[in-house]
Amino acid sequence: MDIPEILKAIQPLRGEVIPIRTVQETNPPEEFGDAYVAEVNVKAASKVIKALDSKYPRNPSLPLSHLRRFAKRENLPPHLQERIEAYESLEKGSIKTIFVIIAPPLPDPEELLELLAPFAPNTYKTGPSSPTSDSFTPTSPPPTIDLITTTIPLQPPFNAQQAETWTKTLWPVTFNPAAPRATVAPPLQILNRAHESIKPRAGYYVSLAQKVAAEAKKSGRGRGVGAVIVDPEIEAEIEEDAKNYGHSNLDRWMDAVLCVGEDVRFARSEAGNPSQTDLHPGVVPNPACATFNADVEGGPDLHALMRAVELISRRRREETAHQAEMAALPNPMTVIHNDPQLSLQLSPLESYFLYEAEARAPLASEPTNHSTSTQPEPSALSPKKRKAEEPNPESISAPLESTCLSPTLDSQDQDQQTTTSAPLPAPPPSTVTTLSDPTIPHPPIEPAETSPVTSSRIRTRSQGGYLCTDLDIYISHEPCLCCSMGLLLSRFRAVIFPRSGRMKSGGLASEPVVFPVADCEGEESSDAVNPGNDRLYYGLNWRRELNWRALGFEFVEDEDEEQIVNASEDEVVFNA
Amino acid sequence: MDQPTAEPHTPGPERKDSRHEYFMKQALLMGEKALEAGETPVGCVLVHNDKIIGYGMNDTNRSMNGTRHAEFLAIAEVIQTYPRSILQSTDLYVTVEPCIMCASALKQYRIRRVYYGCANDRFGGTGGVLSIHSDPSIDPTYPVYGGFFRDEAVMLLRRFYIQENGKAPNPRPKKNRELNTNLDEGLLTPTAPSVEI
Repeated sequence: MDIPEILKAIQPLRGEVIPIRTVQETNPPEEFGDAYVAEVNVKAASKVIKALDSKYPRNPSLPLSHLRRFAKRENLPPHLQERIEAYESLEKGSIKTIFVIIAPPLPDPEELLELLAPFAPNTYKTGPSSPTSDSFTPTSPPPTIDLITTTIPLQPPFNAQQAETWTKTLWPVTFNPAAPRATVAPPLQILNRAHESIKPRAGYYVSLAQKVAAEAKKSGRGRGVGAVIVDPEIEAEIEEDAKNYGHSNLDRWMDAVLCVGEDVRFARSEAGNPSQTDLHPGVVPNPACATFNADVEGGPDLHALMRAVELISRRRREETAHQAEMAALPNPMTVIHNDPQLSLQLSPLESYFLYEAEARAPLASEPTNHSTSTQPEPSALSPKKRKAEEPNPESISAPLESTCLSPTLDSQDQDQQTTTSAPLPAPPPSTVTTLSDPTIPHPPIEPAETSPVTSSRIRTRSQGGYLCTDLDIYISHEPCLCCSMGLLLSRFRAVIFPRSGRMKSGGLASEPVVFPVADCEGEESSDAVNPGNDRLYYGLNWRRELNWRALGFEFVEDEDEEQIVNASEDEVVFNA
Repeated sequence: MDQPTAEPHTPGPERKDSRHEYFMKQALLMGEKALEAGETPVGCVLVHNDKIIGYGMNDTNRSMNGTRHAEFLAIAEVIQTYPRSILQSTDLYVTVEPCIMCASALKQYRIRRVYYGCANDRFGGTGGVLSIHSDPSIDPTYPVYGGFFRDEAVMLLRRFYIQENGKAPNPRPKKNRELNTNLDEGLLTPTAPSVEI
């Protein structure tokens, strides 16, 4: 299997990258609370605000700026108008008044009445500059302030329509298109920046994820699900280089791929018995694909996303500094040495991206394809490029180096084994098993012995790499809830999956697919649900309740019809 | 006899059952081991027919994999010796409410019951934030009982969170922090910025 050839043949999908709306956006929370309304002299308005704000400082965690502080009588909703009629037998003459809202947390009513008394319509004493006949005199009626209790929306409106409804029925509110996002959706600036960086090459990465998925299925080791982890920082370098040297920003798309992960749910042996893959040698796809039987589904730790995350971690664990550090720590867990996620059994594609892609990068990324050139890419001049990752022309094909390198690593391992009972560190790349396609007899790809650990594009911890912080993951199917949370715990920046890969068991979508695509101005689209679509929508990637959040995008292919065909292909419902 | 307790602070009817006490203590011991190993101190055991068939503790720092929670390690241990179907008649005892990831994983693995110590109001998947265990899905629901040795589980976590996290990109200095031993307060007193479990 010539991996670079396979990869070169990958055609980008054509389509659109669309942000996944958050569950709060698709299902606006409607929280209401009690508030007081009081009628005050219109001339005292600014003093009322001053008095209220100094006595009852606003709670910044309770954003109530969507409520108008004041409303004229004619702008009040009918139920308040009626309440006012009821007490209006009192004389106010021709005094102009206005209504102020006192929002939660509600103060003590007695205290509030006392505070507002000086501003009551019939007692407010204006300054000497504008004397009126209403000045307080011993003959004037006592101060009259009535507190009306009413209901107000505690959350800002999500759209103009909601604002209008609330204004008509509760209290005048304003709609600020930017304001609601802060609490219920990613800030627009952050979302847009990520969106722009993802758009140009998303078609390639989704296409690669689908290729990885196809390989997973073809191997008999898992269902057809594949994941691709991309470093947006490298993408930024690609963009920079494209700008500086005038080539396309698509040529080197593959350089930003850190690793790929295939679903391997059928490949793990349980209780020492043959795995589902072993039971059906050479039969692809694995017969277990045809149904959903929990007993043979492996587990979510064997799903593509979890596996890709583990491969990144494993690559970092191979760092010598880390091995030494970990060897000093007590670790009572022996099970981890048995490779529960099978991360030592790499498929050819997985092995290529984890170990070989860097060494071969100049070939894969050569825009004009004059094959044997060992000239470093212009990017080598970029000061931003991490030095250790530069493709070293001399190491591209240097089997001699590997024979020098491996014994060093091996002896190190032995030292650790004999001197301490500490956990066995992950083995060096040379011990990794690379699996071959069971259907096509061919020698397995050589493990990438030529690639020293420091040449990985995966930032090591000493280079500031921490979990999957700031990385993007492209996945052929909407990941299951377990994997969706796994991606948050791994701190991904963004997750992208094709709409055709939506899963009933998925954890990311926040609403049904509607045709045409729902627009934000429209009303709730619950009526337009696809028939037979009874799944739950968690929108887990960005939820207000959770500490960690990731941006979520769907890749919607241009050919709608083709999508529908793809979607109906996966008749078996499973956890992706 | 089994009534799922929505309110984790309410001891379940079986609180005094020495069997549950024993297994939860074993889970707490795994949590202690995690603390010694520099991990977020969460421990668990999987119990089948009154026998522990799997032990787990957090392994996220050592493995540099943020998804290696105690539950996954315990399940991995079980699978070495038994087919995964044994989990359908197996109970989990874990010191902290399973996170959303683990709650879903336990569902996919078809755990029989879950007993936990303290609730997880940041990431909890069995009532803390979401209720994955009881939401309808392609996998069956499972009952959850909370509040077993809650105080001990909370203290374990607090002992961890007064330390600095040297693994984080920007460790927060915590020199002046003291161990808060007031258990009436919530788990997430100012000494605990976030529970990643």
